Amino acid sequence: MLPSFYLMSVAFMSNGPYGLPQMPLTLQSFQELAGFGFLGWSPGNLYTLARSLWQTLIATGLVILIAYPLAYFISTQPPGRRPLMLLIVVVPSWTNQVIRAFGWMNILAPDAPLSSLAASADLIPSEMGLFPSNFAVVLGLVYNFLPFMVLPLYASFERLDAEIVQAAHDLYAKPINVFRHAILPQTLPGLMAGTVLVSIPAFGMYVIPELLGGGKSMMIGNLVARQFAAASNWPLGAAAALIMILATLGGLLVLRRLGRRLGGGKEVVL
Amino acid sequence: MRRTTFHNGLRAWWYIVLLFLYGPLAIVVLFSFNSTRTYSSFRGFSLEWYAKLFANETIVNAIYNSLTLAIVSSILATVLGAILGYGMYRYRHLNLGWLIWLIYLPLVMPDIVYGISQMTFFVTINQATGLLEPGLLTMIIAHISFQIPFVALLVYSRLLQLDPLLFEATQDLYATPWQRAWYFIIPTLHAALISSFFLSFTLSIDDFVISFFTAGPESTTLPIFIWSAIKKGITPEINAIATLMIGAVFTAAAISYAIQRARPVSKPSQQ
Repeated sequence: MLPSFYLMSVAFMSNGPYGLPQMPLTLQSFQELAGFGFLGWSPGNLYTLARSLWQTLIATGLVILIAYPLAYFISTQPPGRRPLMLLIVVVPSWTNQVIRAFGWMNILAPDAPLSSLAASADLIPSEMGLFPSNFAVVLGLVYNFLPFMVLPLYASFERLDAEIVQAAHDLYAKPINVFRHAILPQTLPGLMAGTVLVSIPAFGMYVIPELLGGGKSMMIGNLVARQFAAASNWPLGAAAALIMILATLGGLLVLRRLGRRLGGGKEVVL
Repeated sequence: MRRTTFHNGLRAWWYIVLLFLYGPLAIVVLFSFNSTRTYSSFRGFSLEWYAKLFANETIVNAIYNSLTLAIVSSILATVLGAILGYGMYRYRHLNLGWLIWLIYLPLVMPDIVYGISQMTFFVTINQATGLLEPGLLTMIIAHISFQIPFVALLVYSRLLQLDPLLFEATQDLYATPWQRAWYFIIPTLHAALISSFFLSFTLSIDDFVISFFTAGPESTTLPIFIWSAIKKGITPEINAIATLMIGAVFTAAAISYAIQRARPVSKPSQQ
């Protein structure tokens, strides 16, 4: 009885993806191919794909730059205070993601102070807000995923062997070399884990590009959703979804392997 | 000397990031008390939007739907996930690596893909049989199916920590499978089950995308309501609901922190 339950729930979980190919009545057998073909022909969809990758890349890079000093700072604080500081970093991400995006919509709205400032600096046309734009999407992604980078990095910094760093100082290494040879290798497992946790969900993000991006900065998640809702081209949507899954798994494998090689054989825990 | 400047820089960075993290939420809260509809400035304190909120039946309904969905799905997911986790443990010698990968899949799959695959699945069944009309029921099923892997992995990892001899001991004592479940397995997993329930509850309350694609017209949850309201245009009422939800999250965070501080050593369950 238990194994059947086990198999049943597993079967149920994978039902979704397998249920897809049966849907299109006209393209039954080759719908996947058609989907791929379609995706190959029209540059619009390819742009969307490229944009998703690009924005994920930028957002992940920014998150690393922001989180790295932050995680280090938390690790230098007295031990009693650290849990509270981590909690403070994490709590905003417990609020619903729609609300978080909404907060940025408030801030970046056309007549809000920040937009007027940007307009007066001639960065944007004055009647437009800072959203919808690619900038707003990246901002939203960074905001959303910052805690996912801070936590694993902090865990690495906490275990950092300070004596190696001290030794590097004693040997009169330049700060940049201390960082490269003494600090970076030790925090690399955390960095890799954080990169996985940030970049993979960021790539598949739906809410943020939809709310902060508008039509011009769609990411692949929106493309998929659109095929199922308004455009109702299910095979195309399914093909794009399949690409998302493959990209997710591929990214996961690459990062795992990189992590294993660079992280000194340590398994990067998901 | 240089070290202190460096450290002050880090401290400043901490405050800047705090501003970045809490700014958007603070703005939402602030404007929920604004007495006018503009976003360019704050023009005096008012509770007008909150009054409108509770007069709105759709919103009260949405709150009710969200809670029903979260509670029902978490209870069922905890039960089913625990059974799955136990099955994984019991049959771990069968080399089920690929099955574990299958279980992992919903964890790493983008939620948009997950929501859409659930939706197409339900729609297909609905067209074929007329069952599973999109609504609260389909949402509950969808939520359970993405909560189960979390519960199963939590229970599985807890079981792995146990001494396998304990299971043999229950057999030596002639316990029937039911007795074994009741007197040994469930008490042992007590803490893991409770944290599974709360994890599932949080996942469900937090979820927007999967609900959005499996919901029917009658089963709007709070995030879906906010979403469609935003799509129509930003209004102070949305700020008011959002503020209530932010308040709930912060209260929960404060309570959990207080509980952790009260019992610093006994970290309950998991991993």
